[in-house]
Amino acid sequence: MNAPFFKYGMFGDEMSLVVAFAIGIGFGFFLERAGFGKARLLAAQFYFRDLRVLKVMFTAIITAMVGSFLLARFGLLDLSLVYLTPTFLVPQIVGGLILGFGFIIGGYCPGTSCVSAATGRVDGMVYLAGMIGGLVGFAEFYPRIAHLVKLTPLGQVTLAEQFNIPYGLLVFAVVLMALGAFVAAEWAEGRFGGKTPDADSLLAPARRFTPVRKFAAVLAVLGLVAAFAGSPYRTALARVDTRQLALDAGTKADHVMPAELADWLVEGRNDFLVVDVREPAEFAAYHIPGALNVPLAALTPDFARRNERIIFYSDGGIHAAQAWFLIRALGFPSVYMLFGGLEEWKDTVLFPAAPLADASAKDRIDFARRSAVAKYFGGTPRTGTDATPVAPAATLPKLALPPPTAAPAGPNSVPAPKKKKKEGC
Amino acid sequence: MTEFTLFRHTPGIDPTLHIWGWEIPVYLFLGGLVAGLMILAGARLLIMRPHERQAMVCCTIGPLAGLALLSLGMLALFLDLSHKLYVWRLYLIFEPTSPMSWGSWILLLVYPALLANALTHLPETIPALAKRAPMLVTISDYILARPRLVVAIGLANITLGIALGIYTGILLGTLGARPLWSSAVLGPLFLFSGLSTAAALLHGILVFTTPDAERPEFADFLLSLLARWSQARPLDTRIAPTLAQADNSFLTIELALLGLLLIGHLSSTAVHQQAAWLLLTGPYAAVFWIGVIGLGILLPLFLQHLELQHRIRHTLAPSLLVLTGGLVLRFVLVNAGQASHWAAMLN
Repeated sequence: MNAPFFKYGMFGDEMSLVVAFAIGIGFGFFLERAGFGKARLLAAQFYFRDLRVLKVMFTAIITAMVGSFLLARFGLLDLSLVYLTPTFLVPQIVGGLILGFGFIIGGYCPGTSCVSAATGRVDGMVYLAGMIGGLVGFAEFYPRIAHLVKLTPLGQVTLAEQFNIPYGLLVFAVVLMALGAFVAAEWAEGRFGGKTPDADSLLAPARRFTPVRKFAAVLAVLGLVAAFAGSPYRTALARVDTRQLALDAGTKADHVMPAELADWLVEGRNDFLVVDVREPAEFAAYHIPGALNVPLAALTPDFARRNERIIFYSDGGIHAAQAWFLIRALGFPSVYMLFGGLEEWKDTVLFPAAPLADASAKDRIDFARRSAVAKYFGGTPRTGTDATPVAPAATLPKLALPPPTAAPAGPNSVPAPKKKKKEGC
Repeated sequence: MTEFTLFRHTPGIDPTLHIWGWEIPVYLFLGGLVAGLMILAGARLLIMRPHERQAMVCCTIGPLAGLALLSLGMLALFLDLSHKLYVWRLYLIFEPTSPMSWGSWILLLVYPALLANALTHLPETIPALAKRAPMLVTISDYILARPRLVVAIGLANITLGIALGIYTGILLGTLGARPLWSSAVLGPLFLFSGLSTAAALLHGILVFTTPDAERPEFADFLLSLLARWSQARPLDTRIAPTLAQADNSFLTIELALLGLLLIGHLSSTAVHQQAAWLLLTGPYAAVFWIGVIGLGILLPLFLQHLELQHRIRHTLAPSLLVLTGGLVLRFVLVNAGQASHWAAMLN
């Protein structure tokens, strides 16, 4: 069982929403316990009267940061598998400003408005209703601004990569920044909010080693450790469990059937990467829609993110299998190969054979479905009614490149075959 | 009149049914809600003494809201009809083996029962209306002077409420061609879901009218306007905890019935198992687990439990959640039921 669970297909879309719901309820519960269901408390943040939000959020950030760094350093967590949201600088700045204005005007951010509504505050409910209306409006409006949303793409970047500083040093810097922010926050609360600091806070005049100070000291020490601990990422020379590799290769766990892949493409799923390891010339002649061309010789450890689900294919199966072994050995956990390669793809997806005359109803229905899928990919079902199997190479029509933009298998001129028209009575 | 037997071999039914849109779930929800309101109002009428004046929210506002909601539900049902002009033909015959026939007659009887219940205490709830129409006072006095009549109205409300709540479930349950629906548990499930939404609605009304420092000004303005117009005294909020408690009981029973429905399907034939998996892990799983179970039952149960323990204030949140949950339950069951089919055997 490999994490990330959703990405590697441990559960589908529906179950992922259920999991998200459970996590969301937990998140909301702790937000409420921190007092974030009250708009007045949230707004006090902007007047420096009560900086609880800043403190809670910064605590969460440095706890997660130090924790994941150290876990990765000790080999318990593979940081390269953690999903990073791609950065689009300008759209994200604009979005941040909109969110900030909404926060100041309404008194809530999206998460805290749910918390507030759940505790029965009417203003929270109004905010939530407005948010849902906004979501619907945005979804309707999105096609017109879709190109703006993709402006200034920077890819999946981290601060450490961008500024080329050691990861651990960054962790230490953020810890120091957070501790500084806590002290500044308590000072501001005293100055603007007229609060006297708690007896055991960071700023209290007492010299006791209070729990808060202990916590701050532990964080500072851990940050210092991180600064000198080296890179948390696993290198290309990570340990390879050859026994596990052999086991995976021996079972069918490393296969994706062509029909299965075709279904995924028809459904428009994009949570996997199809990689063609043949030569560019062969790739140009024909490839599976949406596939990426990386010839076997060009496979390097950084040809894709490690948390991608990767499906290799070649003409037969040998080159794909070699690529599979290579990439698995480099520590990519979720790698598959197309069973039977392009040959099998042609036989079962592009040019499926009609069932025999005395085939069962199930086979007939199955064939009707596969014919629709074949047409979607620009192939034709073989409807020769004679029972003798025809020599495929002789009768197959010449393969052509699929329609103009071959990249992702978007809606071509052929409609998706599985959609049923919903009608009233 | 010829009645269609809905089995396979009819276009529009095989392999999946796709003839019911939003109208039917909305009607099922409103019908269940009104059934719950009737039962609560009837029970309240039986329990309290005729001249006790304290149950406005249950005995007057409930039935009045019920009349309005039922009319909305009937409108949805009417919109769903293909031959709208022939609706009167339903009332030319009574067919004891058809739940549809039972339903149309029950709906016809529900109106006078609800009206009688509302009229019993109407003058004291809305004095302004009683002043303009002295008739109302006469009727109310007439009813209240006859304890047996009060009991009869209460019993009629309870009986018709139970019938209305259960028949919708039986209606779906008799469609053998849809595996998800073919369960006798659907009737009680819809009944208790209706009861929980009704208790939540009344609880919500009580909470909304309770004086509260944090209530927004527009609500205060609306309420004061309403109070001035009707010259009514404020609602008695003492029964709010009772309603919350009743709601929790109904929700618990609803949860148990949902469990029974699924267990029944999972221990039945492969077709029924597939129908149950539609809800548990299939395309309806997210809506079922989050909308029906999580937000519709468990969260309000938890919140109302805290309310009853005086840990938090009584708020609108649980009633809104329960009402939404009830609506989502109808949508999920109607849509997933239409999608469940016997052709699943082929795959």
